[in-house]
Amino acid sequence: MVSFNIHGVPVSNGIAIGTSHLISNALLEVVRYDIKTKKIDFEVKRFKKALLTVKNELIRIKKRLLLDSNSQFAPFIDTHLMLLSDSNISDEPAQTIKDEKCNAEWAIKIQLDLIIDKFNQIEDPYIKERKHDVVQVAERVIKVLLGHKKQKINFKNESSVILVAQDISPADTLQFKNHKYGAFITEMGGANSHTAILARSLNIPSIVALKNAKKLIKNNDTLIVDGNQGIVIINPSSAILEEYQYKQNLWEIEQKKLIKIRNIKCKTLGNQTITLLANIEVPEDIKSVKENNGDGIGLFRTEFLFMNRSSLPDEEEQFNIYKSVTKSMGKLPVVIRTLDSGADKNIAADNNNKNNSALGLRAIRLCLSEPHLFTTQLKAILRASAFGNIRILIPMLSSLQELRQTKMLIERAKQSLKNSKIKFNNKILVGGMIEVPAVAINADMFANELDFLSIGTNDLVQYTLAIDRTDDSVSHLYNSLHSAVLRLIDNTIKAGMKYNKEVSICGEMAGDPKLTKLLLGMGLTNFSMHPTSMLTVKKQVLSSDPKKIKIKANKILRSIEPDNIESLIQDINK
Amino acid sequence: MIKKEVKIINKLGLHARASSKLTQLASQFDSEIFIIKDSKKVNAKNIMDILMLAASIGSKVELQVTGSDEKIAIKEVENLFKNYFDEGE
Repeated sequence: MVSFNIHGVPVSNGIAIGTSHLISNALLEVVRYDIKTKKIDFEVKRFKKALLTVKNELIRIKKRLLLDSNSQFAPFIDTHLMLLSDSNISDEPAQTIKDEKCNAEWAIKIQLDLIIDKFNQIEDPYIKERKHDVVQVAERVIKVLLGHKKQKINFKNESSVILVAQDISPADTLQFKNHKYGAFITEMGGANSHTAILARSLNIPSIVALKNAKKLIKNNDTLIVDGNQGIVIINPSSAILEEYQYKQNLWEIEQKKLIKIRNIKCKTLGNQTITLLANIEVPEDIKSVKENNGDGIGLFRTEFLFMNRSSLPDEEEQFNIYKSVTKSMGKLPVVIRTLDSGADKNIAADNNNKNNSALGLRAIRLCLSEPHLFTTQLKAILRASAFGNIRILIPMLSSLQELRQTKMLIERAKQSLKNSKIKFNNKILVGGMIEVPAVAINADMFANELDFLSIGTNDLVQYTLAIDRTDDSVSHLYNSLHSAVLRLIDNTIKAGMKYNKEVSICGEMAGDPKLTKLLLGMGLTNFSMHPTSMLTVKKQVLSSDPKKIKIKANKILRSIEPDNIESLIQDINK
Repeated sequence: MIKKEVKIINKLGLHARASSKLTQLASQFDSEIFIIKDSKKVNAKNIMDILMLAASIGSKVELQVTGSDEKIAIKEVENLFKNYFDEGE
């Protein structure tokens, strides 16, 4: 058997090894046949009866879901029930049966195709995604019409079963939630699809958006699902299989160990406290921050508020979101980064901006050229600062003039709130992102005028090495351990020490456990990362001896040979 | 028939949950309830049609209600819009 890999979007971590089980797709089985005129009424009745069967089935599922108060899926069943009674689904096909003299299954299928077409024309990506709900409802009706028995899946060894589906519907989740399958993989879906939510709640690996998975994978194929990387290996060789069995064991042992350190204080062997903060994109991410016992939010990216919509969010809307985030974090710090759009992240009202290069009008440059947009955000952040420990972070500064101009706008926003007698924290800390090399070189000047510094390593590497992050043909040149990058980081940390200002790293480097000891050795005490990386980084901190790693970090900083750096990194992690 | 213009003020607009609330409410009345946005006219009792209006925050729609309970129906539907579809924002 030929072994091959397919790649998708990983939505739940872990490694599973097992055999595939394909969940059938009723839509593919539908064929058209003619109905004799005298049998038309019977066919319409058959269709109506199938609708009723599905309706009762969904009501039954909903009742059972409601018994479990933790279920997030009951409201979805309501939506499915409503779709079922929508005249597009409940009446139109009946008309088609009469007009076309065709079978009920076919009538639903052509109606479904029409509906999908309409949904595809919708720009709003969220509403567009709802077409999957319509498909799931229609599929249920077709299954009943085709006389499918309810798919009962009984296996002796559930944990070695890997379910391969086109998509998993909320109603399916009931069937799955009391089982512990090896993994779910689906052709459709994204990071917040039903499949992803279900897999994370069951804590099993899952990969979605695997195009053509059901064509490429056959029943009872041996599969390796690497939910950390988003790779499915089909019919692996015995050597690969062995390697993954080993990896799987390691991963499981590692997970068990990590949970144990959740409540331990994050200190080095030298008793120095290290702060582990989280990078978040939406308020829902806070759940994961708390699960991993983070010390606060080191980077709240606000772009999501501005994307995928036709109008910009107003002050009130932004205020409510910032307030809810800081309130749920209590006294812990919440660093809100002002709008960092442009380049690869486009915002709603920014459609005229043709120049999206990373070197163009983006982040603070865009904000300073659109003071109205910026002031709205600043006022919302300031107002929320009355409810917790909020700080402001300015992205992509490149000169002191920009910084001073920004601070002036912040002062103006404060003044306007004062005039309206609205409460805010007048001593709110203002920090800057260090991501442009010019600023990293002049870090001391910025440390002098800012309250804290946050190094954005992703952009710093891109700008320092002149590597376009979105261009695959140069991605092999992207190297966060390039000596120039390390020296810029070192320079920034030292500038912070000189002016007694906090320095943190909020780029990918902060969440990479291989680099924790190096950064600690360089004097970094604040790390901000994806919440799921926190415990692995914490583990590195707990085993760090400050004296030893300082010497080794200095060695790495002085090293010129790239090959040498790799072996020195291995050495510092020993 | 009663007509009225309403503005969508909830953050997510007529997304799945708001649409289902609207459909649920509309279905309680005998009156025919239509929602008109731009030149599209849809039945408020059909969730799919409402979804496909893709009406987002800030957009204006017209309500058209005809039937025996039209007065109370238009009032309750209007209130649902005004109360952010009970989403709080």
